[in-house]
Amino acid sequence: MKIHVDRTLCDNHGQCTITAPSVFRIDDQGILQYEENVDDSLRADIEDSMDVCPVQAIFIVTED
Amino acid sequence: MSSVAEAPYFNISDPKFAMHSEEVRNAREQSWYARTNYGIAVLRYNQVSQLLKDQRLSQGSGQWPAHNGVHSGLFYDWWTTCLLVLEGEDHHRIRRLVNPAFSPRHIEPLIPRFEALAEELVEAYASSGRCEFVADFAEPYATRVLCILLGIPESEWPTIARLASTIGLALGITITEELPTIEEALGELYEYAEALIRDRQQNPKDDFITRLVEANKDGDALSDAELRNALVLMIFGGMDTTRNQLGLGMQSFLHNPAQWALLGEKPELGRAATEEVMRTNPTTTWVTREAAVTFEYEGLTIEKGTTVHLFTQTSGTDPMAFPDPEMDIEGEHKPHYGFGGGIHHCLGHFVARADMSVAYPILARRMKDIRLGGVDEWLPDSGNTGPVRLPLTFTPAP
Ligand code: HEM
Ligand code: SF4
Repeated sequence: MKIHVDRTLCDNHGQCTITAPSVFRIDDQGILQYEENVDDSLRADIEDSMDVCPVQAIFIVTED
Repeated sequence: MSSVAEAPYFNISDPKFAMHSEEVRNAREQSWYARTNYGIAVLRYNQVSQLLKDQRLSQGSGQWPAHNGVHSGLFYDWWTTCLLVLEGEDHHRIRRLVNPAFSPRHIEPLIPRFEALAEELVEAYASSGRCEFVADFAEPYATRVLCILLGIPESEWPTIARLASTIGLALGITITEELPTIEEALGELYEYAEALIRDRQQNPKDDFITRLVEANKDGDALSDAELRNALVLMIFGGMDTTRNQLGLGMQSFLHNPAQWALLGEKPELGRAATEEVMRTNPTTTWVTREAAVTFEYEGLTIEKGTTVHLFTQTSGTDPMAFPDPEMDIEGEHKPHYGFGGGIHHCLGHFVARADMSVAYPILARRMKDIRLGGVDEWLPDSGNTGPVRLPLTFTPAP
């Protein structure tokens, strides 16, 4: 599964790091870093992160 | 700015201290921070945005009861274990379990009920062309929205409002004198919350409380006491804030009649109106943090233990970030920090955003040409502000 964070929206609140700490983290500069390719077993955590993001910046990329 | 002693100074406990003042605007132009009688105040957008999320600052509110001589008891136990003041994994664990119930997916279906409620409340006074906005609209609306969310019968709203306001006294300087009353109210709210939890454990429904009762993450769930404490925090954190923010919005629109008229014609601007009110006239005037370590920031040494007030209204109207800082519900603006930010970002913001975005356009449609209709009365600008009384006159419209 591939995920994408819209950087024009993301305000580095780090709420996603609470929900899915193995995928999202805030670096020393206070900027969100994340894994783009995520194992499907983490889907529920990613969906919780998408829900909780205050600015709704997280997306699952559907490939066609 | 070369030394701390030259930074501007505010007495933020002075009831006359005003966010919307020349003094504060000048200070913001001169310096990113000000000294205060209680720690420092951060004034500019970029610095507020960074420090709100900075892990070297911790939640500053946890010590509040202890600072006021309250070291044990029902209130102390609730406050020191509630989500707002927890840190690290203790905080994250609860947040992970409660977050999903606040998902926009679950909040959106409540919007028609918020609309019906707003229409009902305006209808009751509209034909008279006058209202006392706080008592006639803001308070019942804010409280009944929470009743709808939590599944408490709406008819019980006056009790909920009274209990929540009583617990709110704990944030004032009279906390010690009021403690017995505060704890009695807290005990009553506990009973409400416990009854709701028991009911949904026995009769699960497709609703908010059931989602919390059934919340489970990797085998971990909230204990009954944790859920009860969280529900009481939602009532405590969601009611006065929403009531005050609605009233502040009316104040903003009293000063911007063209924006009010526009909103009355274009209800789709409800969300933008909500954001603009919160950017330029937020109820939470500052978010409090405390330095967990000593660190350097923009040339200033912030000593461990320093209280740091992150000012929301001054950051939201900072000309360095908003070249045209006036309220404009048709403009594009950076995000504001009226809901705080970072790890403690408001849990209920999707609810608050939804209910206010519904309310403002309905009010603007029904109440044309709003004017102040008597003597208004306000809370001071320290921490949480808003109208206590806001009499309005208007031209009724269908
Ligand atoms: C206009 C309405 C509201 C405003 C202005 C507001 C503002 C805030 C602010 C500024 C914070 C951050 C406090 C801090 O970091 O120290 C916060 C946190 C919180 N809010 Fe709200 N709030 C509103 C409505 C609500 C509602 C409706 C609920 C619940 C139903 C709610 C529940 C909470 C909770 C539980 C927290 C603590 C979150 C945490 O520490 O992780 N709020 N709110
Ligand atoms: S929760 Fe949203 S805004 Fe916050 S860091 Fe994650 S993606 Fe960015």
